[in-house]
This record gives sequence, structure tokens and C-alpha cells, in this order.
Amino acid sequence: MAVVRARALEKTVGAGRAARRILAGADLDVHAGELVAVLGRSGSGKSTLLHILGGLDRADSGSIEVAGLRLDLLGDRAQVDFRRHSVGFVFQFFHLIPELTGEENVLLPTRFGGDGARSARRGRELIERLGLREVADSLPHTLSGGEQQRFAMARALVNDPALVLADEPTGNLDDEAGRVALDLLRSIATGDGRAVVLVTHDPRAATVADRVVALDAGLLVPRVPADAADVVAAPAR
Amino acid sequence: MREALRRLRARPGRSALTAAGVAAACAMLGAAVTVSYGLATGFDRAAERADLPDLIARFDDERLETIDDRVRALPNVEARSYRLEVTDIRLAANGRSTEKGAAQVVRRGRRGYAVVEGRDLSERGAEVVIERGLANEWGLGPGGTLDIAGLGPVRVVGVAVAPDNVAFPLASTARVYLSNEALLQRFGEGEAPVNSLLLWTHDPDRLDETLAQARAVSFGITNLRFLTRDGVRVLVGQAAGIVIALLVAFSLIALASAVLMLGASARTDVQRRLAQVGMLRAIGFSRMGVAGRYGGEALIVAVPAAIVGLALGAALVTRPSGRLLETLNELGPGSALLAPLGACLVAVVVVVGVATAWPAWRAAGRPPAETLRGADAPAEALRLRSPSGGFGLGLRLAMARKARLAGSVAVVATATAVVLLMLALAGLLDGLRDDPSSVGKRYSLTVAAPAERADEVAAVPGVEAAAPRYLVQGADSFRLGETLKVVAFPGDHTDFEAPPLLAGRRLRSDAEVEIGRGLSQSLGLDVGGTLAAQLPSGREVRFRVVGIVGAIDSDGRVAYTRPGRLLDADPGLRPAIAVRLSPGTSRDDVTGRLAAIGLAPESVGGATTSNGRFLGVLADLLRAVAAINALVCLYALVQALALTATERRGTLAVMRSFGAGRRHVLLVLGGAALAQVALAAPRSCSEERRSRRWPWPRRSACCLSGLRWGPRSGGLPLGTPSCRCGRDRPRSRWSRSRWGCSPRWRPCWWHAGQSASRSSPGCARSRRCRDRGRQAPRAGAARSCPAGGPGRHSRPSCCSGSPPPCSAQRGSSDGGASHRPWREDRRSSGPSAIRMATASWRPAPVSRS
Repeated sequence: MAVVRARALEKTVGAGRAARRILAGADLDVHAGELVAVLGRSGSGKSTLLHILGGLDRADSGSIEVAGLRLDLLGDRAQVDFRRHSVGFVFQFFHLIPELTGEENVLLPTRFGGDGARSARRGRELIERLGLREVADSLPHTLSGGEQQRFAMARALVNDPALVLADEPTGNLDDEAGRVALDLLRSIATGDGRAVVLVTHDPRAATVADRVVALDAGLLVPRVPADAADVVAAPAR
Repeated sequence: MREALRRLRARPGRSALTAAGVAAACAMLGAAVTVSYGLATGFDRAAERADLPDLIARFDDERLETIDDRVRALPNVEARSYRLEVTDIRLAANGRSTEKGAAQVVRRGRRGYAVVEGRDLSERGAEVVIERGLANEWGLGPGGTLDIAGLGPVRVVGVAVAPDNVAFPLASTARVYLSNEALLQRFGEGEAPVNSLLLWTHDPDRLDETLAQARAVSFGITNLRFLTRDGVRVLVGQAAGIVIALLVAFSLIALASAVLMLGASARTDVQRRLAQVGMLRAIGFSRMGVAGRYGGEALIVAVPAAIVGLALGAALVTRPSGRLLETLNELGPGSALLAPLGACLVAVVVVVGVATAWPAWRAAGRPPAETLRGADAPAEALRLRSPSGGFGLGLRLAMARKARLAGSVAVVATATAVVLLMLALAGLLDGLRDDPSSVGKRYSLTVAAPAERADEVAAVPGVEAAAPRYLVQGADSFRLGETLKVVAFPGDHTDFEAPPLLAGRRLRSDAEVEIGRGLSQSLGLDVGGTLAAQLPSGREVRFRVVGIVGAIDSDGRVAYTRPGRLLDADPGLRPAIAVRLSPGTSRDDVTGRLAAIGLAPESVGGATTSNGRFLGVLADLLRAVAAINALVCLYALVQALALTATERRGTLAVMRSFGAGRRHVLLVLGGAALAQVALAAPRSCSEERRSRRWPWPRRSACCLSGLRWGPRSGGLPLGTPSCRCGRDRPRSRWSRSRWGCSPRWRPCWWHAGQSASRSSPGCARSRRCRDRGRQAPRAGAARSCPAGGPGRHSRPSCCSGSPPPCSAQRGSSDGGASHRPWREDRRSSGPSAIRMATASWRPAPVSRS
């Protein structure tokens, strides 16, 4: 079953002479339990695509359906609900709130609604599962990068979303921590049956992805994992 | 500069907020400076313009030659001028009239007043120059006509200001100036006496010598009183000084608050752009250069905002300040105000520049590698359990920045407390003006009627209770200079006047008395002591003090008792009937009903009528400043929230990405605001309450409300005693005297100079003293017991207490010209032979006996 179904997505950023078309009719399908890696050079529009899929931004045209909801037709309030229940984000710089402990950061989405107690229980289970119990009461600045990223992943999963979007999840981690993060994402897709879209520069991501697509000239082009390094290293056109 | 402008344009919201903060603080500063500078320099400005003499001497009518012979012999005299002051004449114009006109008949020479509109008197024709207070109050101006009793309609040619007294109607006397030469031409030849001397000295610092010499040669001149320019300044300064002190203190608080918030804002901005600071340092910018960029940006915003703020503040208070100055008979600063405002502008610009450059200077001092990483000291979170939801998150975020929170709370709390205090003071002044309960009075009307009619009055619909109220002006038997007001109600006086009981108990019998704290302090009386009061009839009554009450009325120099002993001592005592209204009843309705049964009720206020207007002006002024201060308070709150929102931009974005809607974002910000307000509110309330308990706000209100301005022309007077409230001992020997003569303050030695017609114990003693002086009007005798003037400086004399030393007399002034109508001939020799026609202004020839 396709969790994400995007068709003919177009997006232009900037205006006038500075306008730049970064999505030019991109199509994407992501199924439950599938991990799709989106590769592309810097400035190719990977993050923009991710924001459109997550309801943080809107495409200029095209249709996009996530978890049965037509995002392009949703109003602002409905999009807020969508983000609250159907999607979870993992950021490159983790974006943990410095004043909150790791556990409180995980439970942050439950403050804005959702199924309250159940989400909180799930959050604590995730903390256990990700091996963060001992540092759950620590503040972010006392945690390692890997621990912070694991807390960020737990936060993305706490509301049991159908789609997890990860923006350069390994970009701020060392090799070992990056490997752990990718394995976790893999298990989120396989074990939990969620759809995971991973935007990355990391060629290793291709090795854990079910599918690799490259964003090239505004279009999503399928690639075999072996070509991943070439895509990332390709000069800007 | 261009780059700085571009950066500012890139973030217009932040720039606007900074500008608003600077403007709000400057508005406060501008208002304070406008009022303070105006009041602080108003007297000197008016005195300079009016050519106010260094010394004004008043005395009973004398021949000009008699006085001038002696004045010519005085040292240090640069110029002199003489006047004849005629009081209690009827003035009328534009449908308004007063019986308390005072005509100052001026002669050639220096005038001692400034003509601010029209022209001065000529020596021909029926012309009059009127004081500005009268002109404003009656809508008169040059070209108008004033009807003066005995003279008929006289053309107004000018409006004058003379700062030796406050303006009509704060002073109950309206002053007008007439030309002696013109009057002589109109009424024919003759010689009018003089009773005022205006003296200008070569060296005002040596005025003491001139004064001492003047006293030495004053034998035979009765009712002599001196008023120095310094004395007037001191007295006016006492009233203005309170307002100035309040405003300066509050404006400093506002400025400090604004600087604190601007500093916090600048620090946040620097912190946000730490990487940029690092980059600038890395490419070779000096530390000073980095700080200069930030300081320069701030100045571009601050300079126009400060100009706008200062102008706005000045404009807001110019009108009430001008009214206040007019009431005090002073002149506004005009363009002279630009200098202090300019100094304020420079100061504000420097302060803002430093406050914004300092964080950049500090940041630029860190290693560039560190700042390039945008290193920020992580916030140490408070391990507090906060409520769930966005609101709780907001609380948590706000409380995480402890120093910021403490600063914001301090600013908001202080500004709120100041606003509350100023509004409370304004309300108190309003209460003193309008509400009799503010001075402990629970009755709203009085009726001049015999005590027997009290029941009849009580039966009038809307009247809850009515009782005869006896009021006697007495004096302490042992210290006649210490006057007091005895108030007596049959039964429980607290039904009508209920000042709070501070010590002891309420009275239960005719032999007991409750005294005000002011009286307790001045006489050293406490519960269990005996109050011995001399009544105007000459009889003495004694009471046992059973309670001390916190009466504001009459500066606490009041005693409450029952009328039994008073009536025994003076059976002719006439009460007024005090009328307490039923709750919700209109005073006007009851007034109408009482009038219908032939009674003439009078409204009871907290302050005297003439003071009421003054208090109203002051209350308006306080409210205007409070409003500006509230802007600073609001700015502090908005600024704190804006800083939170700016700093938490990333947090808010994360929240949004996890499904937080606008409502949740608002809840977070609301929580942050609540954290500050919740902490600030109790603190501001406690600060405001604590400052209310301090003596100064109450004393200020007391002083402002208690100012009693001399009802006679040429008299300032006499606010000093009321400033005693809250002090342990009175600072001066001023005492209050009514004695059925005039409700004004006078120095105790004033009694010595009163005419024999005054019926009071103090006057009786003074009369004896004066009679001695009259019997032996020699220089030596005058020194030991001068006729009407102070002479002995050290120990109590027969002249009702010891006169103050010369230096003290500078700060003193008499209530004005002698209390006798022009036509009254109260002396039998010398210049008293002058006879004035009772029905006209025609001066009679001087008898040169």
C-alpha cells in the first residue's frame, strides 16, 4: 500500500530573475515498510521535497497524497493535524529543545494533542528500545550526537506516524553514530511497517535503502544503490 | 552606515521594537524633564522677568516720607518702590465677581511684576493691570473692562505675573494693579499712604544686614512683616520639590528599565549573530570595529526614536505643567527647555550606544574559532515540573533564562509598581479634593442651623444621620503658639468623623478626648496625658487624652471630644449640623430638599475649594506621567516576549513541524508572558504597598493637599506646616491660626503683630506685648519686644513663642497685608490720621500731626 503518492510536483523558489525551478514534475511513491533514499547534490531541492511531503511547505502544482490524505487540498488546520498524527521528522541538527530533558523532548509532540497517555507510554517504550533510559533525564547539551539523534528519532515516532521523514540524519554524526542511525531508520521501516523517506548526502544510506532515487533537474530518477556515490559527487549543473 | 541601514531594513520588526522602547523611555524622560525643569526654574524665571524685589516689607498705612526717610538710610539698597495695598474690595467682570479683590496702587519706579500680555499702566486714565490668574479665570484680557468697587468700570490694559504669591483662585485674593498717579489725577490732589515696600539690594547675599538694620529702625511702624525673595523661593520649592522628586525618581526608573531591556535585546541579537561576529573577527575586524557596527546600528534607530520620544513626552505634559506653573504664578521655560532636552538626547544616545555595543564588545573578545561555531552557553534548565501543553512549555522556556527572567520581572514589577503608585497618589489627591471620607469625614453636607434642628434635618429623605458639629479653634494652654482644632459631636463622633484609631481607645465621656497624631507629636502628648486648650473666649478646658487618631485634616492637629465642656466654657458656641447621606443618595438631591425647608447646606470636600483646583492639576499631571510609564511597562513585556520568540525561533519551528498550530504557539508565548507577569505582579503589588507605607507618598499627598495659600494678596503661604505629617517633630515654628480671622497659616510670631481686635489667647498675650511696645516705642523697647515684628531670636517671649532667627524668617512669609479694610481706621496717631472715604477711592489729605 502506498503511503506516499506524489504526482507531477512542481515548485519554484525565488522570484523574478532569481526564480529557480527545483521541482519540475517529480513523481514519487513510497509504500509502508519501505525506506526510500533521496539523493542529490546541494541545492537540488531535496529538503524542499521533504518539506512538501511533510506538509511544511506546499507545491506550486501537482498532487500529493500521504496516508490517504490529499495534502495539496488540505487547509492549514488540517495540515497541522496531519503533521501531528501522520508524519514524524528527524533533522540533521536534531533540534532538541535545550531546556527540556531527553525524555521531555521525546514527549514534546504529545503536548500539542494526539492520544496523550498512549503516546507518552509509547515514548517511554521508544526510549527503552533505543537504549536511552539512562540518559532520559539529561539535558541535550550533556548528550553525545548519537544520543541526541536517537532522542530525535524517538520524538519522530512518538505519535505513531505512518511516514517518517529524515533530513540528513547522519550529516552531523560520526561514522559509527551514523551507522547506528541508519540501522534504526531501517528498523523503523521494516519492523514498524512505516514508510521512511531519507534525504541524504551519505552514500552509505543507499546500502540500507530499499530504493534510491536521485533528484536531478527537478525530476526524481531511480538509481541503483551502486550509483549513489556518483550522484552525490556529481558536479552542479 | 549604508550597510547598517541595510541590515536594519532587513529586520524591520526588531528595529521597530527597539525604536519603540527608546521612544517610550524618552517619552518618560521628556515628560519628567519638562515638568521638573519648568517647576525648578519657574520661580527664578518669573522672578527675573518680574524684577521681583529682594525684600518686600508690609506694614500698616504710613506716610511715604516716614518710610522713605528710614529706607534711604539702609545699607545695600539699590532701588526701592512703594505701594498701597487695599484688600477686600469687590471686583466684577464678565458676570463673575469676588469680594476678595486686592488693589495694588503702584507708584513710579520698579514694579515687581512682569506684564505678559498687553502693556503696563500709564499715569493717565482709568487703567488696570490684572494678574494672570484672574485673567484666565474670568476670561479677561487687554481691552476688557473690570468693575472695581469705588472706581467703576476700568479698562484692562495688561496682564501681569508676580511670583511673590500664587495665582488666583488658588490664592483666594485676586490682585489688580492701579497707578497711583492716575488715581490722584482722577480724585484730585492728596497724598495716599503706603503700606508696602519693595526693596532691591546691590548684593542679595548681604540682605541679612539690610534686614537687621531695617528692624533696628522700625520703631513706630506697626504690623511690620518681611518677605524675602529667598523665602518665597523656599516655600514654592517645597511644593514643587515633591513633584520634581517624584518625577525624577520615576523617570530614572523608566530609563533604567528601558536600558535593561535594550541591553537584553542587544545581547540576544549578538548571540543570534555570534557566527557573524566570529566571521568579522576572522577576516580582520578589530574588537572595537565589531562593537562599533552594533553600536552604530543602535544609534541609527535610537536617535530618531529618542527625538520623537522626548518631543512626545514634553508635548504630553506641557499643558498640565503649564497649568501648574500658571497656578503658581510662574512662567514656562519656553525655548529654554531645549537645552535640558538636548542633554537628555545626548545621554540617551550614549546609554543606548553603550548598552548595545557592550555585548558585541564582549562577544568579539572571545576566540574567533569559538564564535564562528556560534557557541552559546547552554541554558541550565530549571528542574521544575511545569504544566503540560504549550502553556507549560512557555513557562518552562521563560524560566530557563533565569537572568533574563529576573531582569524582565524586575522591570515589569518596578514599572507597574510605579504606575500603580502614581495612580494611587492621583486618586488620593482626587479624594482629598472631592471626597470628605478621604480625611475621615463621613458626612457630606453641613447646615448652618441651631442644634435643635438636627432632628428636623435627620428626617429629610436621603439623610441617614444628622448631628450638631461644634468646631472651636483653640490653642494649647501651655504653648499658645501650638494651635489646634477641637471638634465635638454629641455621642459617638465616629458616626460622622472616623479617623483611624492608632493608639488607646475611643472617647466615652465629655472629659475625654482623642487627639490627632500631629497634635500628639507637636505637644508631646500621649494616651493618659491632659490636653489643656485655651478657647477663643479666653476660658480653658481640660480633657484626658484617651486615644491617638490618624487624622489627616488640619495636619493632625485636631482633637475630638463631646461638646459638654466646650459649651460650659462658652455657652454661645454655635454648631453646624453635619449631614450624613444614605448610601446611594445624591448630594444634590438632599441639598435641594434641605433648601426647600429653608436651610442652606454646604458641600463638604476633602480639601479647601481653592486647593481643589490645584490638586486636580497635580492629579492630572501624575496620571499623564503614569500613562507614559505604563508604556515603558508595556514595552518591557513586549520586548521580553519578542526576545523569547526570536531566541526560540528554532524551537517554534520544531513545534510547528510536530503539529503545533498557531494556537499552541500563542500558548507557548502566553506561558512565557505569564511566567513574567505572575512573578512581577505580586512583586509590583508588594512594592507598591511597601512604598505606600513609606512616609514619603503619604507625606507628599499630605503636603500637596495641605498647601494653604494666603488668602490675602502678597502673602504666600504657608504650606510648611502641613509638611510635618509623619515627622516626629515639627521642623519650624509655623503654626496654624484661624481665630475666627482667616483660615491660613501663619508663623507663630505673627500673632504678636496682630491687631488688638483679634480675640484669641495668643492675640491677648500679643496685645499685651504690643501695648508695651506702643507705650515705649523706643529702639531698645522695640528690640526687646518689637511691635509686630520678630526681634528676639533665642528664647520664648511674651510674643507667643520665640520668633525665628533671621535666617528662618527667610523661609517664612506672612499671610499678606494686614487684615483690615482700606476704610478702617484703627489707629489714632501718626499716619493713621489718613482718612479714606468709605464709599470712594478718594484719598484724604494726610494729617501732618
